[in-house]
Amino acid sequence: MTEEKWGIAHIFASFNNTIITITDLTGAETLAKISGGMVVKAARDESSPYTAMQMAMKVADAAKDKGIVGVHVRVRAPGGNKQRSPGPGAQAAIRALARAGLRIGRIEDVTPIPHDGTKPKGGKRGRRV
Amino acid sequence: MEIKIPEERIGVLVGPNGSMKNLIEERTRTKIDIDSDSGAVHIAAFDDPLLALRVMDLVKAIGRGFSPERALPLLDDDMLMVEILDLSKIVGTKRDMARVKGRIIGKEGRTREIMERLSGAKISVYGKTVTLMGYPEQIRISRGAIEMLLDGAPHGNVYSFLERKHQDLVREELKNTGGL
Repeated sequence: MTEEKWGIAHIFASFNNTIITITDLTGAETLAKISGGMVVKAARDESSPYTAMQMAMKVADAAKDKGIVGVHVRVRAPGGNKQRSPGPGAQAAIRALARAGLRIGRIEDVTPIPHDGTKPKGGKRGRRV
Repeated sequence: MEIKIPEERIGVLVGPNGSMKNLIEERTRTKIDIDSDSGAVHIAAFDDPLLALRVMDLVKAIGRGFSPERALPLLDDDMLMVEILDLSKIVGTKRDMARVKGRIIGKEGRTREIMERLSGAKISVYGKTVTLMGYPEQIRISRGAIEMLLDGAPHGNVYSFLERKHQDLVREELKNTGGL
């Protein structure tokens, strides 16, 4: 088969964890997936950029074994009534995917944005950091 | 990819006669479209989508009050991150905002300066946001310090917290470079 096989890398990056799932172009078939807890032991490291890089290396290898040469990227933050900007793992993961030898196609932000939804958590005076 | 920056920061992003914008475009081979009425900035990459991501960080940083000179290293260093803390969710009234911002900046910028020196991250207090730029570890430390200040901790406590973390950073660095 001479045709190049592409996939989609879904990266979900919150402040507590990062999850990478590589699927085929339809998004229905999962080819490889990994989360923070699969590479580090400490819970607080699950969302760190270093972890994300190691994770990206691993999934990239798994995906390449299945013949994927490049991926389009869909980044997602928790969204909804939670924070809209992706956690620290997102950028690191994308860069590491590229360095692991996968070609990067389009990068898209698929964070769910509410058209005004539910009340965010926290009391009247908001979350006191 | 598209982001919005405040109108008054557009001039800074474009630079005198568009010099800043051109510099960024040339260095990264991207195209930056700026709508000067709405403040919308559109970034398109020609060959490397990763670079576009970094340009986005750069534009975000400039939009949040960093001078272009301070923000430009973002283009060269992979590990530099930008983090924006939104104060408007935590601080209710206008007067509170001024007070909290004042606490973070300190007299003549002293607190901010100390935080920058000890954590290594660059800090910009602008509008209703505090923006941190640096390596993940540096950002963690400076965010910790700022959260302490927001909580009402005395400055002295925050300085000793930073001092302690600074020691850790230095030790970590020695371990990495010393080969032991």
